[in-house]
Amino acid sequence: MSGVGMLGRQAALVEAGARRAQARVTRRHLLVYLGLVPFFFITVFPVIWMGITAFKTDADLVNPTVFPFWFHQPPTLEHFTYLFQHTYYGDWITNTLVIAACVSLITLLVGVPAGYSLARLGLPGAENMGIAIFLGYLIPPILLFIPLSRVVALTHLIDTKWALVLVYPTFTIPYCTWLLSGFFKTVPKEIEEAALVDGCGRLGALIRTVLPVSFAGILTAVIFAFTLTMQDFLYSLVFVSVSDQKPVPLGVASDLIRGDVYFWGSLMAGALLVGVPVAILYSFFLDQFISGITSAAVK
Amino acid sequence: MANVEFLSGGHPATRHRAFTRERLIFGYSLLAPAIVYMVLLVGIPFFFSLYLALSDASVGNQVARYVGLSNFVAIFQDSTFRQALRNTIVFTVVAGIFKIMLGTLMAFLLVQDVRGKKLIRSLVVIPWTLPVAVSALAWKWMYDPQFSAINYVGTRLHLIQGWPNWLGEPGLAMAAVISVNVWRGFPFAAIVLMAGLSAVPLELLDAGKVDGATFFLRYRYIIVPVIAPILFVGLLFDTVFTLSDISIVYLLTFGGPMGTTEILPTKAFEIGIQAGALGRGAAISLVLFPILLPVVYFLLRNLRRRETV
Repeated sequence: MSGVGMLGRQAALVEAGARRAQARVTRRHLLVYLGLVPFFFITVFPVIWMGITAFKTDADLVNPTVFPFWFHQPPTLEHFTYLFQHTYYGDWITNTLVIAACVSLITLLVGVPAGYSLARLGLPGAENMGIAIFLGYLIPPILLFIPLSRVVALTHLIDTKWALVLVYPTFTIPYCTWLLSGFFKTVPKEIEEAALVDGCGRLGALIRTVLPVSFAGILTAVIFAFTLTMQDFLYSLVFVSVSDQKPVPLGVASDLIRGDVYFWGSLMAGALLVGVPVAILYSFFLDQFISGITSAAVK
Repeated sequence: MANVEFLSGGHPATRHRAFTRERLIFGYSLLAPAIVYMVLLVGIPFFFSLYLALSDASVGNQVARYVGLSNFVAIFQDSTFRQALRNTIVFTVVAGIFKIMLGTLMAFLLVQDVRGKKLIRSLVVIPWTLPVAVSALAWKWMYDPQFSAINYVGTRLHLIQGWPNWLGEPGLAMAAVISVNVWRGFPFAAIVLMAGLSAVPLELLDAGKVDGATFFLRYRYIIVPVIAPILFVGLLFDTVFTLSDISIVYLLTFGGPMGTTEILPTKAFEIGIQAGALGRGAAISLVLFPILLPVVYFLLRNLRRRETV
């Protein structure tokens, strides 16, 4: 047998092995994709169906004789224009943004100092105080909404969006303080000590050195303040019953349903228009959210 | 630090004490706003609700009288309340079991190293990231008695017989609202589990393989002990979210038909807010407290462990 033949056969064997490995990879891909298909369908279908509904004409929506999951008349924007022209949808969006901005601001003003203090200053009892603050996140709104309705009535903020600005920080502050305190622990102490030696006060050191390098953590806290605010339904339902003061989720759910008549096109349009941006924003930061609440168990 | 003390002179010990005191004052004053906010809007309302539950307070009647435990006695004598309590437990337990099963299955698929897994992952978490009221509306449309997309698909695939009215029939409504909760919650379970799976040390798995451990053994002795605590924490959080979520039931069935989907949150809302019986309503939501207590206890113990590690 010639050397050339040997080499040729070896090359063929190597090639066959590579093909087999390739086939194995392909098969595994196929199996995994196949397994994920039902999950994909279950999770995404309702959202796609919302999207189709939002752009369908009413006549098309209620036509029982055609395949419902596609357009049989040209897509329309009438449900969206209806929202802005005949409902308070524009106000709801403004309210939602104002509420989210104010809640984020309050959360940061309260949560950044608290998180820093818990993480850095080695206060006696800091651990228990941190846990006490986090406890606020674990006492759910359902235990608090009745007494809070009295508290909010006392402040004369009832039926305005400011009532929500007041109560939403009760769940954003605990979560964000916790998140920020974890974040501040990772900032090197030396930066701050250098600033102290250079004659900054403690507050100066915090503002000039720790905050700038904590930008990512602070941004994350803002995103969560925003998305947690959007997840609320109960507080807005209890505290705000005036149409033009409602945030979007409550407005869509309560004002677009009149009696037993459902305007599905505009309902889905209104729900989708805020739901999708929030969902996308949230999913970018989901990993931080998960590690924020479970990191203890990982260690 | 030593440099600062040296340069500024004075007795080192006094300096040190002053330094410590200054740091403590600074620290507590940074912490104070958070503590004050939480005490005013969580702590005081919580104790206020205990007070309300022991009184006959109502929206119209500002002067409440102490009535002892009679609110609790009254609600437990009310069969619709007992039904709501039973429903709450069934809802939470059944939904929890399905969330764990579906979440685990999806997590094992999502951790596989396949192309496009990032994109797939960001799509399958949509149910969890959508605002809950938005999802509830989407499902209300899917359960619509006339135009139900579920029935349309189900009848054509011969999975469903007839044209069930999901939210209108006593036997089906509970299954329908539980499904929405599971739909919303299982991606959360999956993501939490994935975080846990990525924490499984690869060296341990390799060592296990070298030592001849079968997949089952590796699963039982390496993977499970690592992911069990993280799954547990995820489940606890989910239980808090599920027990306190009113929006799915409120928007889909409002407790109906005939109270078959009534849960404690909707019951407390009906009595405490809509009917204005603050004392009775506060008592109903406080019934959740003993259920939440062990959950919160385990979560806090877990947090404490994080602090001390």
